[in-house]
Formats: sequence, C-alpha cells, structure tokens
Amino acid sequence: MSLEQWSENALLLAFILYNISFIVYVIAIAGKKWSNRDPIVHVRRWGRVAVTMTVIGLASQITYFITRWLAAGHVPTSNMFEFMTFLSMAIVAAFIILFWIYRLSALGLFAMPVSIILISYAAVFPKEVQPLIPALKSYWLYIHVTTAALGESFFAIGFAAGLMYLLRTIDYTSKTKESRKDSRGIEFTLYAIIVVIGFVLVSNGFKSTDYSAEFTQEVQQKDEQSGQLVPVTKTTVYTLPAFVQPANSKVVHMDSFLGMDQPLLSAPSWMKGIDSGKKLNTVIWSLLSGLILYWILRLIVRRPLGAIIQKTMGGIDADDLDEISYRAIAIGYPIFALGALIFAMIWAHEAWGRFWGWDPKETWALITFLFYTVYLHLRLSRGWQGNKSSWLSVLGFIVVMFTLIGVNLIVAGLHSYAGV
Amino acid sequence: MLHNTKCECGHQNPVGTVLCESCGKPLDDEFGTAPLEMRYDGIARRSQRENPALIDRVWRFFSSVKVAIILIFLTLCASIMGTIYPQENTFLNVDPSVYYEATYGFSGKLYYLLGLSDTYGSWWYKLLLIMIGSSLIICSLDRVLPLYRALSKQQIRKHMSFLVRQRVVYQGQLPATGITAVSFIDGLVPLLKKRGYRVHSDGTALLAEKHRFSRWGPYINHIGLIIFLLAVLMRGLPGWSMDQYTGFLEGVPTQIENTPYYLENEKFTVEYYTEEELPEEFRGQGRAVPKLFQTKAILYECTADCSSDKPDLKQVHQQNIEVNKPLKYKDLLAYQFDFRQTIQIRAVNVSLTDKMSNQTYGPFELNTITPDETYVEGPYVLTLKDYYPEFALNDKGVPFTNSKSPLAPAFIFVIQGPGLAEDGEVFIYFPRDVDKQRFSQDKLNAGIVDKIDIGVGSMQDVSISRFTSYLNIRTDRALPYIFFGGIIFMIGVIMGIYWQHRRIWIRIDDENEITIGAHTSKNWFGIRKELSVILGKAGIVVEPKQLENGVKQA
Ligand code: HEM
Repeated sequence: MSLEQWSENALLLAFILYNISFIVYVIAIAGKKWSNRDPIVHVRRWGRVAVTMTVIGLASQITYFITRWLAAGHVPTSNMFEFMTFLSMAIVAAFIILFWIYRLSALGLFAMPVSIILISYAAVFPKEVQPLIPALKSYWLYIHVTTAALGESFFAIGFAAGLMYLLRTIDYTSKTKESRKDSRGIEFTLYAIIVVIGFVLVSNGFKSTDYSAEFTQEVQQKDEQSGQLVPVTKTTVYTLPAFVQPANSKVVHMDSFLGMDQPLLSAPSWMKGIDSGKKLNTVIWSLLSGLILYWILRLIVRRPLGAIIQKTMGGIDADDLDEISYRAIAIGYPIFALGALIFAMIWAHEAWGRFWGWDPKETWALITFLFYTVYLHLRLSRGWQGNKSSWLSVLGFIVVMFTLIGVNLIVAGLHSYAGV
Repeated sequence: MLHNTKCECGHQNPVGTVLCESCGKPLDDEFGTAPLEMRYDGIARRSQRENPALIDRVWRFFSSVKVAIILIFLTLCASIMGTIYPQENTFLNVDPSVYYEATYGFSGKLYYLLGLSDTYGSWWYKLLLIMIGSSLIICSLDRVLPLYRALSKQQIRKHMSFLVRQRVVYQGQLPATGITAVSFIDGLVPLLKKRGYRVHSDGTALLAEKHRFSRWGPYINHIGLIIFLLAVLMRGLPGWSMDQYTGFLEGVPTQIENTPYYLENEKFTVEYYTEEELPEEFRGQGRAVPKLFQTKAILYECTADCSSDKPDLKQVHQQNIEVNKPLKYKDLLAYQFDFRQTIQIRAVNVSLTDKMSNQTYGPFELNTITPDETYVEGPYVLTLKDYYPEFALNDKGVPFTNSKSPLAPAFIFVIQGPGLAEDGEVFIYFPRDVDKQRFSQDKLNAGIVDKIDIGVGSMQDVSISRFTSYLNIRTDRALPYIFFGGIIFMIGVIMGIYWQHRRIWIRIDDENEITIGAHTSKNWFGIRKELSVILGKAGIVVEPKQLENGVKQA
C-alpha cells in the first residue's frame, strides 16, 4: 500500500471513529434517563467510552496528516480539502483540551458534529496532492495557516458550548418576545448547519453519479504580448444540475436531471467570471436541500428542532457551558491573532513584499479578530454573560466560516477581475 | 455636593471610590447582597469626576469602554463594506468614476460615490483608527495608575460585606475542635504557597495572591496596539514607504526611481514542473506550472554622473531573488513579482570589413540601449548619426522608432576612411537578419555596400536578453515598529488571558467563624476548584460548585 493510500485510509478510519463516538455521546447524554441506572454513573461510564473513541480517532487523523505530509513533501494545508481536514482535526484537539480542563463529556455532543461536518465538507473538494506554485513555498505560510486554524478551532468549541448554553436555557414554554426571538434564532442556526449538510450530501451525491454540464463564455481579455483586448472562450463544468448558468454563456452540453435539460435562469451580468455562475448555482442547491432536509426533520418531530435537542440536555450546568464557551474563545483569541494576523503579515511581507494588502480574505481575518475583540470587551468590561455572550459566540463562528468559505464563494465571485 | 468619603475603618478615600481602598467595604450600597463589581477594585478614576470640564468630558468619552466597543464595531462594519466590491487599488489604469458603474450598475455607482471604493484609504476610516488609538491611550491612563495604587496597598483583613459579596465565597466553622484560629491560618500558608500564592497574614486573617502581573496584560497589549497604530500612521510620512513595480531587462542596469540605486538583472531563470511531477489531473493539458523563477541580481549605487546616460556605478550587493526570497539591502527590498519573455538584442560584437582589401577591423561592441557616438576601427571612423531602437517607416517613407525597446534596432552611421567620400558615407546597419530582409539593408546602402560591410561573425557575437524580470521595489521603514507593536500586543494578550490574577481573603471571627472570599480576573471555574482542593487539604470538604456565591452550601 502506498503512503498516500495509507493516509487516505487513516482519514477514513478517523471519520468513522468520530461518527461512532458521536453516537456514544448521544447514548451517554440522552441515555441517562433510561430506567434502572444511576444517571451519574451512566454519564461517566459512557462519556469515558466516547472520549476514548474520540482520542483514538484523533490519533488516526494525526496519522493521516503525517503520512500525507510525507507523501506530498509539504505540509498538507494548501488546498481546500487539506485545510478543512486540518481544521476538523484541530477542532477535535481543542475539544479534548477543553474536556481535559472541564471534564464535561457532553461537549462532544456538539463539538464532534462540527468536526464531522467539516470532514465531509472537505470530501467535496479534489483530494489529490497538488504541486505548489512558488508563492506558496514558504514555511511562514504553513505556520500562518496552521496557527490560524488552531485559533479558529477554539472558536468552534466556543460556538459549540455557546449553542449548547442557548439550547439548554431557552424556555420553549414561555411566550415572551425574547424567548420567541431566541427560539427563532436557534432554529435559524440549526438550519444553517443543515444547509452545510445539504451541500455535502448533494455534492457528494452528484459526484457519485458523474453528473456534468458544460458552459462556455466569451470574454474580452488583454493579450500579454500586444496589450490589446482579444476575445477568449472560457469553459466551466458544473457537477450539480444547473438551475443557473453563467452570465452570457452558451450551453455546451447538459445531462438531464429529473427532466431538466436546460438551465432555468442565467446569472445576473454583474457576476463576472465564469465560475461565479457555478458558485451561485451551488449556493442555490445548498439552501434548497437544507430547506428540504429541515422540513423533513420538522415533520418527523413536529416541534422546533431546538426543543427536541433541549430534551436531551437536562442536568448539564448552564453556567459551566457559558464558562467553557468563554474560556475556549479566550484561549483561541491570542492564537488566532498570532496566526491569522501577525504570521499572515510576516508571510505576506516575505512573499508579496507587502505586509497587508486589504485583500478580501485578509480583511475578513481582521473582521473576525475585531469581532472577538468586541466579544471580549463586552464580556470583560460590560458584563455580557450567558445568553448575550452565547449568541455572540454563535455569530462569531459564522463570521469565521464566512471568512473560510463564504469569502471564496461569494466575495471572490465579485472579485474575478475578468476582462479588465 | 460634598461627600463624606471617609470609611468606618478610618481610611480617607478619593471622591468616586466604590469600595473602600483599604478594607473593601462597599461605600455607596452598604446593605446590598449582590456580588460586588470588582473591576479596578472599586477605585476612583478621573473619568468619574463630577462636574466635568470640557477636557474631562473628552477624557470621559474616550475612556469609556462602551465608546471603544462602538468604535471597534464601526471599524468592523466599515471593513466589511470595503470587501463588497474590489477596491480601487486592485486595478492599474482604470478610471474608477466610470469603472464601478459600468461593471456593477447602479449599486456600483453608489459604492463609488459613497467613497467605499477606497474604504481603507478614506479619511473616515483613518479617523476611526485614530479615534481607537486615542481611546486606547486615554482608557489605559485612566485605569492603570489607580489600579496600580489599589493593588499595591491592600489590607489583609477585609470588611465582612466585602468578603461575602465576592463571587466565590465560603462561610463555616473551623474543621475540628481544638484547632485555634491562628494555627488554622498557619496551616493554610504552606498549602497556598505550594500553589504559587504569595501569602500575607496577620494572625487570624489572611490574604493570598498570585499572578498579579496578569492584570497588566490588557494595558501592555493596548500599548502594543498604540505602537502598531502609530507605526501605520508613520508610513504616510515622505520617505518612509515606497512601493513600485519596475521591469529589469536581462543584462541592463536600470535605475530604481527616486533612489541612487541601479539594479541589474544579470540572468533570469524560469523552471517548470515536468509532466511527471504534475498530478494526474494536470497532465496532458499542456499546462505550464512554474516551479521556480529566479533573478540573479546585482545592485549598484551611483557615485557620479547620476543623471547622465553613463553613470558611475559601484557594485554594493549581489543576490538571487526568488518568490519568498527578496533582495535585501539596507532599507531596500526587491521582490520577484512577475516576468515576461522579451527576446531582445542587447549588444552585438560587429566587425567592419573593407571589401576592397578584404581587411577586417574589430570586433567592437554596439550597445542597443546606450550606443556610443563614435567608433574608431583601424583607419575608419564611424559616427552614429541616428539610432532607432524599434525601426519603422511611416507612410511617407520617413523612418521613426516605435518604442524605446530594442526590438528592431537600426544604426545609421556616417563612415569616413580610405576609399570613401571626404565627409563620409551613410551606412545603415540592422543587427537582426529579419530586419535586414524586411527593410532591404543592401538596397538602402547602395553604393557603399560594395566597399564596406558591417556584420557579426557568429551567434556568439550577439548578446540577447531573453527575459524582463518585474520586481516589486519596496521600502517600509515602519515595518520594524509594526512588528514590534505586534509582539508587545501578543505578550500583553498572553499575559492577560493565559494567566489570571487570583486573590483569596480569609478572616476568622470569634475564634471559630471562617469567612472566605476569592476573586480572579478570569476563569472562575479554576479558582473554585483550586480553593476546594486547598480547603480539602485543610480539613474542610466543599464541592467547587458550592463555593459559588448564591449556590447553597450543603
Ligand atoms: C482594536 C482595538 C483593541 C483591541 C484589539 C483590544 C484588545 C483587548 C483584549 C484582548 C483585552 C483582554 C485582555 C485580557 O483580558 O487580558 C482587552 C481588555 C480591555 N480593553 Fe481593549 N482592545 C482594543 C481597544 C480598546 C479600547 C479602544 C479601549 C478603550 C476604552 C479598550 C479597553 C479595554 C478594557 C477596559 C479592557 C479590560 C481590562 C480589564 O479586564 O481590566 N480596549 N482589550
């Protein structure tokens, strides 16, 4: 077996173990009310099993990381697949660290799904080891990316604990405006998570059926030699059925999907670049599949999803959750500042000769930093705790995810400097 | 209004004090039960003066954390706005007043008109940063000195209501009969010391404190930020930062604008990944993925005749420039940015042949960038009458040059010497064979071509520049200060967050009643656990959770 195969199998094993451990966390937490058992003993025993599985999974994922590093000859954090798997690994590690401090295995109930979803998300992207263009060959880049991801992983745990706090404390029986707002907010957050799951399912689903649709677009591009504008034909291949085709594009071919063999719409013309049409189409698919999944779940449980999750969470101390959420963010904040800003500046300085360039990704890292700065000030100096602070931790993680994924998906679409 | 600010313990407190500086008794809400607000230990700050004058109002504005949060939040929002559309500085040669509307329609126009197309360079963005900077300076001054005072003169025995209104509280009796208050306290001292506390006791009361330095964390990190922001502002001063892109043709020392430096790209190399090195999905697409590009650079400093064609240059530095490996010389940095294949003749080593005697003179160098005026070869004198780097003829047949790059060089000489007319005859020389054919060199030289020829012996006599290497030339004198500020910031943040200032106060009244209050700057879970372990070793069993103020003690 080649090193690359080894590596892939180790990742698969980690993924399976994470899933099983998640189920064991559910058994540990939800099962304490089962008859003829002492709830405390039950939680302790099953919690220990779950954490042990998580740790073995983490070891397996570290094996993946090291073997892939050896196979590729460079630290595997240089494309979306590698970065997302690294982030998921860091999240599990951050969870273990916080578990080690607080001994609250219930945290795994939310920390593991975040990691699992990220690995599945990573699986959507090409897995191949890729060569590096010269700009990426700098150890500062690796230091920057890994440290930033580590910081973000603590924010992810802050998010998990914050969300748990909210689920634990929201009063579903109360009809006050605040509790309604909270419960709607929770449903929206859960929906957002389901959208990501929807994206993962749809992408991997159509990948396995080899769906494809191809479009071409003519753009005016400056010729390197003559400096004149010349028409160039660009091509894009969709792997999801096209609701939306790129702006001003022609259909080359399109597999039929449920009788749909032509795109329904065309992307608006201000969406430059052939890939922005594809991205828009992906966003539509994700939102739609998320909506369908969400409503299927709602129809099954016949009440807000938050209410059903809350049922499993009795007995967990809400103040502990609040404290864990804050602590995770406080631990992550310096790491994030160091990795995403200072190391990023050093790398940018080494590679591009400017330490800061207001590139959208860079700017969003700053925005994330400012957001958590606001969080800390509100908490330290204005006493925001509990509910408000938990909402900020949820929002903060959405900002993190937008920086990692949304910027590529949405902002960069507007930044495809095609044909200038 | 006159306040009596003297505490019952006899200490005279400044106006605005919340908790007595000495014994900690709450001064303004004596009979409350809620946990005390322990920030800055309840000291008076300048920003809390009554009857503020204008300067106090400004002070109060900038020292408010609420204002600081609003400022940071506004900066956050402004930064988001700046990422909606590409910023002006991402384009070269584009007129933004037209571009945004043409590309994004009405919203683009609005974006431009609101000034969002240059968010980060706008006056209001800078103003926000300046206001944050002012706020940082003032809020730190407002707090740090009073806090320092409060922490450096702490009393050991605190007021009862100070203790029971901490967030971590324990009240109970001595664990066993026969233990005296003094021996109990004495027994605690080594337990606390072992956990890193500095312990002060006065017999029946005790103050244990550790990691006080972590309280300075926020101020140190704010000082780091102030240095950082100042350094960013300094970049605006003339001479502090430069950022330009210049093309360097192989083998031609070129001046770096506004500096005495000349840089020569001695040799440029580009290597591509071979097919085998590429992953499968990249193969067979004819895609050229560069693996390395490198400029072998020599840096000169001009010592005399700097504005002339032939400046005196002294070599000062030599280095290979690669992506991620810039040339560094004093403040000057040169980064590999881009390259272009630009095949050009840089110089030719020609010889002059007298066809009548079959005598050859030379070889001598014709430089295509800065050719000499005259060449003396044997009995012949060549005077350069005209030189066209990129020779062309207009529709009236008059020669002109298309550009300054030697893409199709043409030398027009007047040659004097044996067998030629007294005041010389004109000879036009095209180094490139294509040009020779295209412009029919022999026909243009009709008459003289039978007597004289100029040419190269072999390809070895032609020096060619194959590449132009584009370098990004920078100077950023503020950079060390920027990173210095960043490091100070990190030190402060780490001090403040990874360590916590913890204090435990214990007093024993009536020889039996223990009252404990504890405070930490962060991580209440941690201090409850620590206190529970310490008390356990001293014979008092209490769950960490029960130490929380308001939680029933079993
Ligand atoms: C972008 C700007 C800023 C950043 C990145 C920043 C960062 C921080 C951080 C990380 C902390 C927590 C430190 C710790 O707990 O050890 C903190 C605390 C604090 N900051 Fe800032 N800060 C900024 C601006 C300001 C401004 C403008 C003010 C002015 C009012 C301010 C006032 C405070 C205060 C009062 C604390 C709490 C100190 C304490 O816990 O006693 N900050 N800041």
